[in-house]
Amino acid sequence: MRPYFFESRYRQLQAWAIPAPRQPAASMQPRQQPLSEPGPRGRRPVAPLLALLLLLALQRTGAAPAGPGESEKPGDNQEAYETAYEDYDYGLPSEFELPPWFSNLKTPGGPLLPEGILRQGALAAVHFLNFREGSPSDLQMLSTVYRASVWETAEKEQHVDVAFTTERFKPEGDKEKPLAECAARVIFRKGKPRPAVNIYCEGLAEKNKRQEDYLLYKHLKQLKPLLGVVHIPDRNGYIDPSLRPLWDLAALGSSYVMWDKTTNVLRYSLVQLTSVKQWKTDGEIDFDYTVQLHEFSTQEIIPCRIHLVWYPGKPLKVKYRCQETPGQASEVEEGSGGMVLTELTNN
Amino acid sequence: MKPLLGTLCLLGMLVHSGLGHHRSLVQQTQKLVDTTVTPWRSLETYSYNKYHRMEEIYQWMSQISEKYPDVVTQHFLGMTYETRPMYYLKISQPSDNTKKIIWMDCGIHAREWIAPAFCQWFVKEILQNYRDNSRIRRLLTYLDFYVLPVLNIDGYIYTWTTDRLWRKSRSSHDDGACFGTDLNRNFNSSWCSIGASKNCLDETFCGAGPVSEPETKAVSGLIESKKEDVLCFLTIHSYGQLILTPYGYTKNKSSNHEELIQVGQKAANALKAKHGTNYRVGASADILYALSGSSRDWAKDIGIPFAYTFELRDNGTYQFVLPEDQIQDTCEETMEAVLSILDDVYAKYWHSNSAGRVTSTTVALSLLVAFMSLF
Repeated sequence: MRPYFFESRYRQLQAWAIPAPRQPAASMQPRQQPLSEPGPRGRRPVAPLLALLLLLALQRTGAAPAGPGESEKPGDNQEAYETAYEDYDYGLPSEFELPPWFSNLKTPGGPLLPEGILRQGALAAVHFLNFREGSPSDLQMLSTVYRASVWETAEKEQHVDVAFTTERFKPEGDKEKPLAECAARVIFRKGKPRPAVNIYCEGLAEKNKRQEDYLLYKHLKQLKPLLGVVHIPDRNGYIDPSLRPLWDLAALGSSYVMWDKTTNVLRYSLVQLTSVKQWKTDGEIDFDYTVQLHEFSTQEIIPCRIHLVWYPGKPLKVKYRCQETPGQASEVEEGSGGMVLTELTNN
Repeated sequence: MKPLLGTLCLLGMLVHSGLGHHRSLVQQTQKLVDTTVTPWRSLETYSYNKYHRMEEIYQWMSQISEKYPDVVTQHFLGMTYETRPMYYLKISQPSDNTKKIIWMDCGIHAREWIAPAFCQWFVKEILQNYRDNSRIRRLLTYLDFYVLPVLNIDGYIYTWTTDRLWRKSRSSHDDGACFGTDLNRNFNSSWCSIGASKNCLDETFCGAGPVSEPETKAVSGLIESKKEDVLCFLTIHSYGQLILTPYGYTKNKSSNHEELIQVGQKAANALKAKHGTNYRVGASADILYALSGSSRDWAKDIGIPFAYTFELRDNGTYQFVLPEDQIQDTCEETMEAVLSILDDVYAKYWHSNSAGRVTSTTVALSLLVAFMSLF
């Protein structure tokens, strides 16, 4: 029996993420092949699933992803590119093959969009990746941005194609962190949160992750309920190893919240798990908690209440409520004014 | 005597305001890691790998100046809003040379604990090594270091007693409706024009007016009075792993922007060589966000040639709550970056002078020889 039902707007987002063609439809050629091509590496567990979802979404809308040689040739689509185009290259690792849809534009342009937008895109993509992967033992963090193209369309959408590496969110002085290589297309509508993200990664260890998730799940089931105020990490940045899985799960739920709130200027990170409201572990783990998020451009600390349901291998279900009024550092309580309740279901 | 009285008054105030408040918030199931409660007595046992309360930092400052009286003096800068004394340490090798000044302040934002930790580390490194280390000795030939370990003392104490994530000062506004000004939005550099808030509830509240806060007044008063001699203004923050050049309040670049970037990039390379940490270099408005009223922009605008903001570790994992086990590595790598900048500043003003003299002499001589060969 599922106590909560959550709705996802994932496919809907995929639909509007692809810009509607501005020239006559005859020149558009819908892609038939999968978006990820077989590359030098054998194991690509994430890509086919994402590609499939994207393909499904595309068939619904009839639009097609732009790729090199198609509608986004310079000069083809004058209106879309009259504002600005900027290409950044920091030296891509040679083994990493960018997916075909990753833009390859060479038109020089004035830097109208600040360089910050490419980092914004990469960070939003990583939050989204963590949420969709649904694996608290394999949370990723942004490592290095290698390549990005950013441009703004006439409809004031900011497109960021960014290639980057991620590393595991296991900051215990572990120098040999495995790196995953990712390419993402992130589309921001100016001022609006929840950017559309298409992301494709190589190097996320599928099998290990499932095993580690299950171990984490078993550990959490044995955790004694500790309701009330906590501070994880504590003020010196310390997390007790026995409580680390709890923090990992809280971070997983927070990833959804942070992606959902990210805009072209607002950027979030998780600071602290501040209280545990509810903790149930028969079957799925039902976790109701509060965190403090940090928003970078305003420097504000935002308290959020998050309620998630998780089971290894299953999609994450989460709903949340954040306190938006600045200056109020008190805990988020039910029924207070000025809050936004977002419900979410995974199909 | 004066510092001791100050410390005693301070202890009295701290006890009154409730030092142990945070303990009641921690669950018993969570292992409590606290800094040492037993008061440490001697400098030999002072741990630079731990975060310290303000009264410990006050005590450390006195002991440092007592231990190295030839080179260190403790100076009163001003009073905070909550009437606490602000002190900076002046490190100066006695000599007949005219000295120029390197300024470094830490902890303008209360929650950025790694910054005051770095200021203390920096002082310790300089003092433990200035006799044997030729690089440091050379710098001290013509440079005095002015180090302000904690700029926002009231806020820093507040992060220990009440709210670990407090950022601003603790000044009262709107008849106590809200507290705190963002001291790094309060300087007189395009004050409150962009990237700052007029709402006292916000974290980037710029204050009642430019330089309205006593802490801002204290710092700008001193720097202003010595601005002819200040070559380098460094302000230490966290987090983000960035070396930032002017400006934040405009996309325009300073007259020596190329040089600042070059020197900054060299510093970032030196930093990375130590422990592999990546720092990015650029103007605040380009790679961080727009902001006005910052101390660094103000320093540039009054004529200080080298002005940088450092954003130390990390990159978003722990953010302000950087674990103590990262203090050492962070301080070691940052030390390399700062020394690299100081080397470049030194080379610019003292190396090139002598080189210039040699060159012009050579030119004169060769001209003379050429002239004479005509006859």
